[in-house]
Amino acid sequence: MATNDSETTPTPDRVPERLEDLMARLETLVAALERDEAPLEESLARFEEALAIGRRCRSILERAEARVRELVDVDEDGDARTRPFDVDA
Amino acid sequence: MAATQGELFGDGVLSVGEVNARAREVIESNFDRVRVLGEISNWRPNRSGHAYFTLKDDEAQLRVACFRGVARRLHFAPADGMRVVVTGRLTIYAAWGQFQIVADAMEPAGEGELEAALRRLVEKLRAEGLFDAARKRRLPPWPRCVGVVTSPTGAAVRDIVSTLGRRWPVADVLLAPTRVQGDGAAAEIRAALGRLARVRGVDVIIVGRGGGSREDLWAFNDEALARAIAACPVPVVAAVGHETDFTLADMAADLRAPTPTAAAELVAPVRDEVRSGVDGALERVVRTVQRRIELERRRLDQWLGSYALGRVRGRVETQAQRLDHLVERAERAVAAGIGSRRARLDATSARLEALDPRSILARGYAMCSDPDRGVPVTSRAAALAAGRLRVRFADGAVRAGSLEECS
Repeated sequence: MATNDSETTPTPDRVPERLEDLMARLETLVAALERDEAPLEESLARFEEALAIGRRCRSILERAEARVRELVDVDEDGDARTRPFDVDA
Repeated sequence: MAATQGELFGDGVLSVGEVNARAREVIESNFDRVRVLGEISNWRPNRSGHAYFTLKDDEAQLRVACFRGVARRLHFAPADGMRVVVTGRLTIYAAWGQFQIVADAMEPAGEGELEAALRRLVEKLRAEGLFDAARKRRLPPWPRCVGVVTSPTGAAVRDIVSTLGRRWPVADVLLAPTRVQGDGAAAEIRAALGRLARVRGVDVIIVGRGGGSREDLWAFNDEALARAIAACPVPVVAAVGHETDFTLADMAADLRAPTPTAAAELVAPVRDEVRSGVDGALERVVRTVQRRIELERRRLDQWLGSYALGRVRGRVETQAQRLDHLVERAERAVAAGIGSRRARLDATSARLEALDPRSILARGYAMCSDPDRGVPVTSRAAALAAGRLRVRFADGAVRAGSLEECS
């Protein structure tokens, strides 16, 4: 479709999960667990959620390389049209 | 029929309009564009965007018309008393017989004037509260998408991209390319910032450029750009030139960085530090759960030691099963792995095994569950309702049917 020299791809339309939200949830869970008041089942559920969030954070943090793109255009919904940007060019 | 002026007064008598038109022709054909140095007085911008004023020096005055297109492009705020060089065409405004210059450009007469104009602008915006500390927003601690407004060819974009890549490859970088110096650069920077700020998911924006002369950096002293930065819905870090350069954009931004590299450092955390934070939280979780298991285990032992078996069997069995589940789940979590903390969790799991409630079964207790639904049976009523039981011993389970009530 695009015939110019640079490929044009839309950005993923999912807004990435915010690490600060995940970390805040993790802290809340740790604090609740440390208060040690909940019934065992609840604590167990929190334990599992905390481990799951920890894994999610770690997988976000594992990203090997930053993606660098150039903004071409943005529509009214905030969706961006971008193309790869070669910083060494 | 009315006689014309020429008929009444003879040849050589002109109308006012004719005089002005002729004078205008003489003036316009005898001058090219001129550049005139003088001091602004009676600066009068009107609502349509045009501005009129008088240019004067010790000896004379000249009327200046500065139309909207030109007035809008000025990169400084004119004011009475300011010395400027006006470039334009001389002409006569025929309706008023007004000799004037129509400006097509205007600049402050010297560095001092430029700086004075900037100082006035700074004061004006400061008075409006544009630079108030209370307006400054905190940067997101762990951005996923960093917007960058700068030249696609300068050193700044390379410095920013390499610094972000080294510290925090977790984030995408989205560049809104723009010219950063020359005529119209301020408006271009502003437009690029506006586009980037509308993109969903952009967490923070760096606006800047590498070092250059004071004139090279001047686009970043633009009033409209400063306002756009202050009004940007996403926090903005400004990084214009070097440590010693200070522009209006720097003052309007949420944070000012001395260089583009420093801006990237302010925006991006160090990944290893964030990882340690996550691991620390997970360690606390594991430690807490270990303590909890030990606590539950002690309670269990107390019950086992202090009550008649018949009265508390159900509670004990339920409790034993819960612990059993806890151990299993913790083991699964370990199996799924949480990176570098795996070894530590393995150790935890070894301790959990030592607390295995199945050892309780070895001491003569049994655990009852509903064979159809797999849920623990913890009361006489539940047992009778189920009709059958799965009875678990330390070495395996048996089925029990035909349950009868006994008193």
